[in-house]
Amino acid sequence: MQLNFAAREVTMKLVYYGPALSGKTTNLRALHQLTSQDSRGRLMTLETKDDRTLFFDMLPLVFRAEGPRGVDDGKGMSLRVKVFTVPGQVLHTSTRRLVLQGADGVAFVADSQIRETENNAAAFVDLRDNLRELGLAVAQMPLVIQFNKRDLPGVRSDQEIADLASRGREPVFRASAVTGGGVLESFFGLLQLTWNKLDAEHQLAKNLGIDRAGFLPMVARKLGYEGDVATLLAANVGGGAKRREER
Amino acid sequence: MTSSSSVVELDANLDGRLRLEELVHREALGELCKSFYDLFGIPVRIYSSEGLLLADESKGQTICAYVNSSARGRAACATIVDAVKRADPGEKGDVVHPCFTGAAYRVIAIDYEGRQIGRLIVGPYLPAQSVAMPPTLLATEPALEAEKARTLLFEMPRAKSETITRLAAHLKAVLDLVIFSGHRAFLTSHMHLASVRENYRELEDKNKKLQDAYDRLKELDRLKSNFLATVSHELRTPLTSIIGYSEMLTAGIAGPLQPEQTEFVQTIFEKGEQLLSLILGLLDLSKLESGTMTVKLRRTEIGAVVAAAMSTLTPVAQKKSVDLKVDIPEGLPAVHGDPERLRQVFQNLIENAIKFTPAGARITVVARPVLSGDDGVGSAEDRDEDAGFSLLAPARAFVEVRVIDEGIGIPDREKARVFDAFYQVDSSSTREYGGTGLGLSIVKRLVDAHSGRVRIEDNAPHGAVFVVTLPVSREAPASPSVPPGPVQ
Repeated sequence: MQLNFAAREVTMKLVYYGPALSGKTTNLRALHQLTSQDSRGRLMTLETKDDRTLFFDMLPLVFRAEGPRGVDDGKGMSLRVKVFTVPGQVLHTSTRRLVLQGADGVAFVADSQIRETENNAAAFVDLRDNLRELGLAVAQMPLVIQFNKRDLPGVRSDQEIADLASRGREPVFRASAVTGGGVLESFFGLLQLTWNKLDAEHQLAKNLGIDRAGFLPMVARKLGYEGDVATLLAANVGGGAKRREER
Repeated sequence: MTSSSSVVELDANLDGRLRLEELVHREALGELCKSFYDLFGIPVRIYSSEGLLLADESKGQTICAYVNSSARGRAACATIVDAVKRADPGEKGDVVHPCFTGAAYRVIAIDYEGRQIGRLIVGPYLPAQSVAMPPTLLATEPALEAEKARTLLFEMPRAKSETITRLAAHLKAVLDLVIFSGHRAFLTSHMHLASVRENYRELEDKNKKLQDAYDRLKELDRLKSNFLATVSHELRTPLTSIIGYSEMLTAGIAGPLQPEQTEFVQTIFEKGEQLLSLILGLLDLSKLESGTMTVKLRRTEIGAVVAAAMSTLTPVAQKKSVDLKVDIPEGLPAVHGDPERLRQVFQNLIENAIKFTPAGARITVVARPVLSGDDGVGSAEDRDEDAGFSLLAPARAFVEVRVIDEGIGIPDREKARVFDAFYQVDSSSTREYGGTGLGLSIVKRLVDAHSGRVRIEDNAPHGAVFVVTLPVSREAPASPSVPPGPVQ
């Protein structure tokens, strides 16, 4: 996170990680589609001729955070959430490590197809190793897991995912990024964990004059989401719920 | 253990140094402003967020020239221009700045990813609703002629406020694209460099670890060689007594032995000799590995060396009914070598050949001069390394000795490994054919010590050919020539 009090600006970095072709870029495209034009920047993709991510994709979401009174009095903070993807192909591990630097939260986009089980696991180990190289522990990193491609045949069943999730510590979301399903849910799930951690560490709400509980609904409003954030957050299965109850 | 270096640092959000002047090409900005001016006749300027003028397309308006013709007018104009330059576009990012002439400027923020990175100044233009010359013009400079000032003022391009808003929005959209493309190109090259550096760092780390492991292994290898040398030496001393006393017993020095006793003592003697040759081999190997074996290189006739090796092995060959044949031509150049060590080389090779050759078959040793130590072909055909053949060949004369057997042969994949110490193609062959697996590794190391080469070829349909290539001696022949004998 970058905090610039003088410019009244907070920048958070969220990274979408995962094996090759699991749908990280598709998640970003969907997020771009689902958010309002006022608060999103251009989606920047750096890809090869065959549409494989070369260095990263980046979607900047920029909006003004209102004070507790819920009005923009021109004194609010400028909130910048920069969402990155990494290149999934195994050979780009050093690029993944570079993009992962300074990440405040990670969404792990897994491929639900059963035949991708090994690749998902290998990519997670790669994430853990790369975080270690950067002096970070995966257990300390705000992390959500998304099982993407729910629309395809040959995928792990909902029941299996729920069982796995209930034994894990991370919130797990199901998604079909090509249709946009589960994309906002995963994003807000990650934003919630990240905000909770940054707020606990830096007293962001207090220092920036932002309403702690109203943060996520405010972001949702700014991004043009008209529904209830609580509904989005409730879409996760397993570990996330357990973790919140412990708090 | 070595500590790893740290990951190449990258500005985490990849936006720390976003400056308009670095993202876009200034001349391109100038062209953009010019095309805007050509289309609408309204001047436009682009400033960086720090107030640096990046592009300016404004031909002087006639009224401005007239106002500037007087000192007071010039001062007033400069004040306005300066104020416009510093004007803050405010929260909305768009303000109007009026001029005393009745003209107006629009100051518009250029935002990128939520940050203001520059300003666009459109104007001066005459607001479309202006019908009369404002009193401020003559109040600022009373010396101006009212009628002339009015005429010139109304020559200024007119525009509605909404039109300017729309034009500015278009210009901003175009600029945004230019900036985005610049940013994208900047990030691509930035990431490319960082990735290369990170890859390099990672490789360096791995190399360091490999080097450490290699150094450790080398040290272990040295310790092993020392250990072997010490143990072999210590084993040899008692063994000499065992061999000596059993030999004396067999000779009847301590009184006659019964036939069965003679047979037993004979076995002790033979096994003792076998053990001794193994220990001597180990000693040789460890000396060769540690570099303590001295090889006295001098002019050596290969024929005599091979003959010496043959004379030792003829009884062994006869016992096994293997035919030994030597074909060494007269006038073969002498090689640069140590006769005793070379005798050892050929003795090992021929002994090896006898071991793997079935009864009734033949072993042939042939020698010939060749030009290259590498291939023994001695031709210049289509070989890059033989460019300049006529210059290089005289400097690269070799003698090639081939030991040809009709034994079991050596599979291709094993050809390089048979020279490793203790290696035998099939470990079961140790039991069938005997031997320690040291002979060929000693051969390889001895030939290396002579700057020679040893390689294996196939002897179709079965059998192997060991080809030893040794450099020719450059010493003048001593006269009379001294045949090399065994060296103590």
